Amino acid sequence: MRLPRIFRTTPFRLTLLFLAMFAAAAAAFLAYAYLATAGEVTRRADDEIRREMNSLEAIYRRGGSPALNQALIERAVGERPFLYLLLDGKGQKITGSIEESPLGEDMEPGENWTTFQVTDTDPDGGEVKRPARGLQERLGGGEVLFVGADVGESEGFVTGIVRALWGAGALVILLGLAGGVAVSRNVSRHMAGLNDTIAAVRAGDLKARARVRGARDEYDELASGLNEMLDRLERSMGGLRHAGDAIAHDLRSPLTRLRARMEAALIEVEAGKGDPKQALIQALDDADNVLTTFNAVLAIARLQAAGSAPDQTLFDPGQLAADMAELYEPLCEDKGIDFRAELIPRLTVKAARPILAQALANVIDNAIKYTPVGGAVMIRVRRRSSGEIEFSVTDNGPGVPMEDRGRVVQRFVRLENSRSEPGSGLGLSLVAAVAEAHGGRLELDEGPGLYDGFGPGLRVAIVLPRVE
Amino acid sequence: MMRILIIEDDLEAAEAMARGLSEAGYDCSHAADGAAGLAEAQKRGFDVLIVDRMMPKMNGVEVVSTLRREGDATPVLFLSALGEVADRVDGLQAGADDYLVKPYAFPELIARVEALSRRRETGAVATTLKVGELEMNLIARTVHRGASEIDLQPREFQLLEFMMRHAGQSVTRTMLLEKVWEYHFDPQTNVIDVHISRLRSKIDKGFDRQMLQTVRGAGYRLDP
Repeated sequence: MRLPRIFRTTPFRLTLLFLAMFAAAAAAFLAYAYLATAGEVTRRADDEIRREMNSLEAIYRRGGSPALNQALIERAVGERPFLYLLLDGKGQKITGSIEESPLGEDMEPGENWTTFQVTDTDPDGGEVKRPARGLQERLGGGEVLFVGADVGESEGFVTGIVRALWGAGALVILLGLAGGVAVSRNVSRHMAGLNDTIAAVRAGDLKARARVRGARDEYDELASGLNEMLDRLERSMGGLRHAGDAIAHDLRSPLTRLRARMEAALIEVEAGKGDPKQALIQALDDADNVLTTFNAVLAIARLQAAGSAPDQTLFDPGQLAADMAELYEPLCEDKGIDFRAELIPRLTVKAARPILAQALANVIDNAIKYTPVGGAVMIRVRRRSSGEIEFSVTDNGPGVPMEDRGRVVQRFVRLENSRSEPGSGLGLSLVAAVAEAHGGRLELDEGPGLYDGFGPGLRVAIVLPRVE
Repeated sequence: MMRILIIEDDLEAAEAMARGLSEAGYDCSHAADGAAGLAEAQKRGFDVLIVDRMMPKMNGVEVVSTLRREGDATPVLFLSALGEVADRVDGLQAGADDYLVKPYAFPELIARVEALSRRRETGAVATTLKVGELEMNLIARTVHRGASEIDLQPREFQLLEFMMRHAGQSVTRTMLLEKVWEYHFDPQTNVIDVHISRLRSKIDKGFDRQMLQTVRGAGYRLDP
C-alpha cells in the first residue's frame, strides 16, 4: 500500500519525527506530574488522618474510652470528613461511622495504614465507591481506633489534571500533524514547480525554466540556480548543434568539388586525354584544402564549445605582435608592401598565447593577401581608455563594404570579389571565435580611406578585456 | 639501414606509412596495439619509434612514458589526430621527441623521421657548427662562409643554426615554423619561404655553389 504523496514528503516526515519526540516528552511530563500530584494528595490525606488520630488519642489519654466515644459521636455529627471506628478489646464496635475496619481486628503493633474503598450513595441513590485512606491503632486500654478519610475528591482532581493533560497532548499532536501537512503542502508545491521544469527538460524541452517568485528564499535560489544551469546547457547544446551543422555545411561543398574533379579526371584519363599524375596532384591539393577547412571549422567549434580559451597566461601583447611582425615583415617587403608596427610596450593581456598568435597571423595573412603592391599594412597594439587591449591590423586594400562587415565574420563567407584569391574563407570567423573565447570581440572598420588610387582599406581589431 | 617501429592500430594508415618509409630507405616493423608495440620496442634495436596516441590496450602516452622510465632514449615521433596545445604538451611531456598531427603530408613525416633518426649523432654540446665551407660560432654568434663573415639578424641566425644542425636533411616549412619560431599552426601564405630566401641571399650570394636548396614538395635542405 502506498501512502498518499503528502505523507511521503520530507517535511511531513520531519513533522512526524518532531511529534514523536514531543509525545515522548509529554508522556514523561505526564507521568512525573501524575506521580508527584498523586503522591502529594495521599501524603496530605495521611497528614490530616495522623493529626486527627493524635487529637483523638489525646482525648483518650485524658478521659479514657468514654471521653473518646463522646468525641467520636460529636464528630460524626459534625461536618468533619473523617471516618471513625472504635472497637473494644474484643473487637466489638463501640462507636463509629463505618461498620467494620477494612484492616480487620488483627493488626500489627503501632501504626497500620491502608488504602480502601468506601461505598457512598450518590444523589440518585446509586452506589459509588470512592478511594479512601485509613490509619488503625491500638489504644492503651486495648481498644482499636480506626481513622479514615475519603480521598476520592482529591483523587478526582488528580484524575482531572491527568485527563486534561492527555487531552492537551492529543490536541498538540493533532495540531502538529495539521501543521506538518500544511508545511509539506507548501514545500511540495514549490518542489512540484521545480520537478515539472526538470521533467519538461528531460522530455526534451530545453527552453523550460523554473518560476522564480521573487521571494529570495531558498526555493528561489534553487530555481534560479536550475535556470542558470539550463541556460548554460542550452547554450552549449546549441553551440554543438550549430557546430555540427556548420561542419556539414562547410565540408560538403569542397568535398563535392573534390569528387567532381576526380570523376572528371578519371573520365579524361580513361579517354586517354588527361595526365594521371596531374590529376592526382590536383586531387591532393583539393584534399589538403578540405583538411585545412576541416581543421579551421574544428578549431572554431572547439573554441565555441569550450566557452573560454584553455591555458590562458599573462603576457606582453606588444611582444607577441613584435614576433608576428618579425615573421611577416620580409613577406611584405617581398610583395612591395610597406609594413609598419606601432606597439605600445609593457602592456599586459591574459590569453592563450598560441591561439591568439594564430588569430593574429590569420588577420595579417588576410591583410597582406588583399593589399596591392605599393600599399601598406600596419599592426598596432594599444590600450584603449576602457582598459581593453586592442590588436589592430590596418591595410589599404579593397576593404569590406559596411553592409558586409557583419557577414564576413560568419563562417565560410567570402565576398564576391575575393573569390579569385585562395583561402578557405574561414579566416575571420576563426579570429572572431578566438576573440570571443577570450571574452573579447572582433571589430571591422574602414581603413585609412581612399587615396592615391588605393582602396578604402580595412581595419581589423581584436579587442581583449582589460586585465584586473 | 635505419630501423623504424610503427605502433599504430589503423592498419591501412600503418601500411601506407610503412610503404612510404621503405621507399625512402627505412626498414619498417609494425605493431598493431600499444601493448604489442611496447613489447617490440623493449627489444631495442630501433632507430625511431612512430607512436600513435590513441590505441587499444595501451595508449601512446603510456607506451612512451614506460619506455622512458626504463631508460630507453630511442627517439619517438608522436602521431595524433588531436592537435590541441594541451595534447601536444602531454605527448612531449611523456617523453616524445616530436609531434605530428594527423593527417600529415608524407614529406612532413619523412623529414621529421629523418631529423629524429640523425639526432643522436649530434649529441655532444658543440660550440661551433661546421657544414662544408659554412662555420657557425655559437658562443660569439658569428657565421663565416670560407673567409667572409656573414652578418645575420638574430632570427636568421636561429634559422641557419637549425638548418646546419640538420644539414643534408629535408626540413619542412612547418618544422621551421615550429622549431625556429615556435608557432604551431600553418601560415596560409609563404612566410617561411621569404625568410629562407633572405637567408639564402646572405649565405649563397656571390658563391658559385648554392648550399641552401629547395626540395620540391617538401621544404629545404642545407647541403655541405
